[in-house]
Amino acid sequence: MLITPDDVEGLTRFGCQIADQVVLTREPRFVGDAIAAVVAPSAEAARVAARLVQVSYEETPAVFDHLEAVRPDAPLVHRRHAGSDSDSAYFAMRPQDGTNVCHRFRIRTPQLRGREEPAVIVDLDDPDDALADAFDEADVVVDEVFHTPAAAHVPMEPHATTALWVDGRLEVTTGTQTPFNLRQDLAGIFGLPVESVRVVVPPMGGAFGAKTFVRTEAVVAAAARIVGRPVRCVLDRDEVFGELTRHAATVRVKLGARADGTFVAKRLWAYVNTGAYADCGPGVAQKLGYAGVGPYRIEHVAVDSYCVYTNLPPGGAFRGYGAMQSVWASERVVDLMAERLGVDAVELRRRNLLREGDRFCTGETMHDVRFEELLDAAAAAVGWSRGGERSGLGVAVMLKGMQTPSRAEVRIVSMPDGRFEVQSATADIGQGATEMLTRLAARHLGCGVERVVVCTPDTDRVPYDTRTTSSRSTHMMDRALQEAARDLARHGSVGHGHVTDEGGLDPDTGEGVASSHWHQGAASARLRVDDETGIIDLEDLYAISYAGRVVNPHGAELQQEGSMILGLGTALFEELQFEGGQIVNPNLSDYNIPSSVDVAAIRHSVLEHEGAQVHGLGETAVPPVPPAIGNAVGSLGYRVRRLPLTPERVLDAAEPVKARPTRSEADR
Amino acid sequence: MTISLRVNGRVHDLDVEPEAMLVDVLREHLGLTGPRVTCGVGLCGTCTVLIDGEPVSACIMMTALAEGREITSIEGVADDDPVVAAFDRHHAFQCGFCIPGMVLTARNLIDRGQAGSAREIREGLGGNLCRCGCYVKIVEAIEEAAP
Repeated sequence: MLITPDDVEGLTRFGCQIADQVVLTREPRFVGDAIAAVVAPSAEAARVAARLVQVSYEETPAVFDHLEAVRPDAPLVHRRHAGSDSDSAYFAMRPQDGTNVCHRFRIRTPQLRGREEPAVIVDLDDPDDALADAFDEADVVVDEVFHTPAAAHVPMEPHATTALWVDGRLEVTTGTQTPFNLRQDLAGIFGLPVESVRVVVPPMGGAFGAKTFVRTEAVVAAAARIVGRPVRCVLDRDEVFGELTRHAATVRVKLGARADGTFVAKRLWAYVNTGAYADCGPGVAQKLGYAGVGPYRIEHVAVDSYCVYTNLPPGGAFRGYGAMQSVWASERVVDLMAERLGVDAVELRRRNLLREGDRFCTGETMHDVRFEELLDAAAAAVGWSRGGERSGLGVAVMLKGMQTPSRAEVRIVSMPDGRFEVQSATADIGQGATEMLTRLAARHLGCGVERVVVCTPDTDRVPYDTRTTSSRSTHMMDRALQEAARDLARHGSVGHGHVTDEGGLDPDTGEGVASSHWHQGAASARLRVDDETGIIDLEDLYAISYAGRVVNPHGAELQQEGSMILGLGTALFEELQFEGGQIVNPNLSDYNIPSSVDVAAIRHSVLEHEGAQVHGLGETAVPPVPPAIGNAVGSLGYRVRRLPLTPERVLDAAEPVKARPTRSEADR
Repeated sequence: MTISLRVNGRVHDLDVEPEAMLVDVLREHLGLTGPRVTCGVGLCGTCTVLIDGEPVSACIMMTALAEGREITSIEGVADDDPVVAAFDRHHAFQCGFCIPGMVLTARNLIDRGQAGSAREIREGLGGNLCRCGCYVKIVEAIEEAAP
C-alpha cells in the first residue's frame, strides 16, 4: 500500500524545538525527506513497490552552505518561522524573520548590552564596530576562523520502529533516547492525550544522539493506523546516514589578552548548519555558544550563535553536543595566543582558568571546579614540562553543560519475593544504564545488586524523565534514586523520587544558569607528522574527565575510551561529504569510523573527589580530543583550520615555524 | 529454492529465495539474531559467522554458497567458551551489537595463532567495527584468552 501526503493531511506539524516538519511532505527540503511510504507484507515486497512509485518534481532554488544561507539573497528553506509547544523547547526561540536563521543565541556580558547591532552578522570578516571597545584593553588580539564538517553517528544498529494501534491507542516500540518527548510529540501529531500513546524502549545497539525525538516513529504510526495492522520499519545504512547528522559549523573566535597573558575579551560567531529542519539545532547552537567561551575568566564576552536552515539532512544531537565544534576553535585560538605572546600554552591557560566561586560569562557562579587539576594531569601525561620541548605536544581543556532545566523521576517497587524493581525512563543505549541504575539503587537501598531489577522503559509503567542525553542520567538518577529509597523506607511498598533542576539562559544576553553542574575535561596528545605525506602518527592520546564519584569503574573506563575514540575519528578522518545536497559517502566504505588499529595510543583517567556529586561521563572526553591533536599538529607548524586533519589538509597548512622566543625573551 | 544448511551442528531444510543473503536466512528463517546487519556491504563485521571455521560476512554471502559447509553463529558458541568468558571478565562490550562478530573473529585469530600480541590482535580485528569504542578492552580480553 502506498501512503502519500494526502493520506496524512490531518496530522499536526511537529518538531522538538520548532514545529517545522510534517509526517509526509509535498515540498521535500533535503535528499531523504519523506514524501511517501510503502507498506507491504515483507521488506522485499516493499522495496519492489517503492521502486515503482513515480514522483514528479518541480525544482526550486536550494542552499547547502550555512554561510551562504545567512546571506540576504539566499533562498529561504522555510517561508515562515514557527515555534513549538514541546517540552523539548526549553528556552525562548529567536528566529530572525526573512532569513534562514531559525534561532539566534547571544551572550553579552553586562557592559556590552544595549548596543545598536545588526540582527544577523553575515560576513566572517565583519569589523564588529558595535562591540569593538571590548578589546580596548587587549595588547594582543587573535582572530581566526575554524570549520567542523557534518558527521554521522553510525550507531551499529539502525533505527528500528514498530507501531500498532490498540483500541485507538498508539503503541510504539522503538529505539529512542527520548521516550517521554516522543510520547508528547506523537500525541501532538495524532491529536491524542499523552496517555493514549505508549512508547516502549528495548535496549539499543548504540545511538550517540541519533535516536532522539521523532525519527521514523511518526510515519510508521501513521502507516499502522491506515493499514490497521502493526507496521515495522528498519532503516538501511544509507538512510541512517541521512536521518540525522552532526551539525557542520563555522566558528570565528576573537580573543584579546594583555601582554601579561590575562584574557580580557572574547568574541565568538558561530554558524551552525541545522539542515532542512531545526530538530534540536537551537539547543545545539546555544550550548556550542557558551562552550566556546571555555573555562576561562574573561571580563567581556560576546557570542552570536546562529542556527541556520539549509537544504541538507537535519542536524541533531550528537555526542559532544555543540561543544565539539566550538572547543575545536576556541582551544586552537588559546594556543595561537600563547604563540603570539611567547608564553607556555599550559601556563597561559592556567593563568586564566575559572576557579571555585568565579563567575562564568552567564553570570552564574562556578562550583566544584576542577579545571586546573585536569589541565595539569593532561599536560603531565604527555611529558609537558616547564621550559621543556613542545614540538609535537598539544593540550586542551573544556567545559560542557548538562541539560538545564532538567527533571527526573524514578520509582522503586518492593516486590513480594524480596527484590526491588527500579522503574526509570533512562534508556539503555549501550552506555550501561541498566547496570548504573542497579548499582545506584542497591547503594541507596543498602542491599545487594542481586536484589535489584530494572524494568525496560515503557511510558505506561515508568515515571517522567527529561531524556537520556547530555550525560545527565547518572547524575540525575543518583539523586532521584536516593529520594526514592528514602520514600520507600517511609511508605513500605513503593518509593518515589523526583528531582528538578531549574535554570536556563536568556537567548539575548546569555544570562542565567547554563548548567546545574559542569562536565569538565582535558586532553593531550603527543605525535609526529610525516612532512612528506602529512600523515599524523599519534604516539599518545590522553584524556581526563571529572567524575565526582564513579558509580561503575568499568563503565566509566568504557565511556572514556568510547568518547576518545569518537573524538579521534572526528579529529583525523570523519566527514560527511555532499555533492549538490546529496551525501556522497553514506556507507561504511567511504565514511570511515575508527577501528581497532587506530586506538593503540589511547590512555585516560577519571578524576574523583571524596564526597563529590556523581557526574556524567558520557561525552566529556569527546570535545577536548580534536583540539589537543590540532594543537600538537600546530606546534609542528601545520595550522589546520578545518577538521578532519587529513594528510592533504595537514600538508596544505604547513607554515614555516617562526623562531620561538627563548625563555628569557618571553620573560622580558 | 530448497536448500540444506548445517548451522551450529544442526541440519535445516529451508525454502529460500535464490538471491537471499545468508544473514537474512539465519535471522528470518532460523531466528538466529546473533549475526546482525549494520553496513550491508561486508565491511563492519557485525554479521560475521564462521564457515568451516573461517570468518565470513554473512550480509554479502549468497546462501547457496554455504550449502554443505559448517556454519557457526554466536548461538553455536558454548556459554563457557574461553573467549566469551574473557570478554565478560574484561567488560569488553557496551551496546553489544558488534560482539558476536568480535567473538567469532577472535576465536579464528586464536585458532590460527594470530593473537600473539596486542598489535597482531588489533590488525586482525580491523574488519570488525564497534562504534561504542570498546576496542581497548576487547583487545585485552583476546590477549588473555589466547594461549
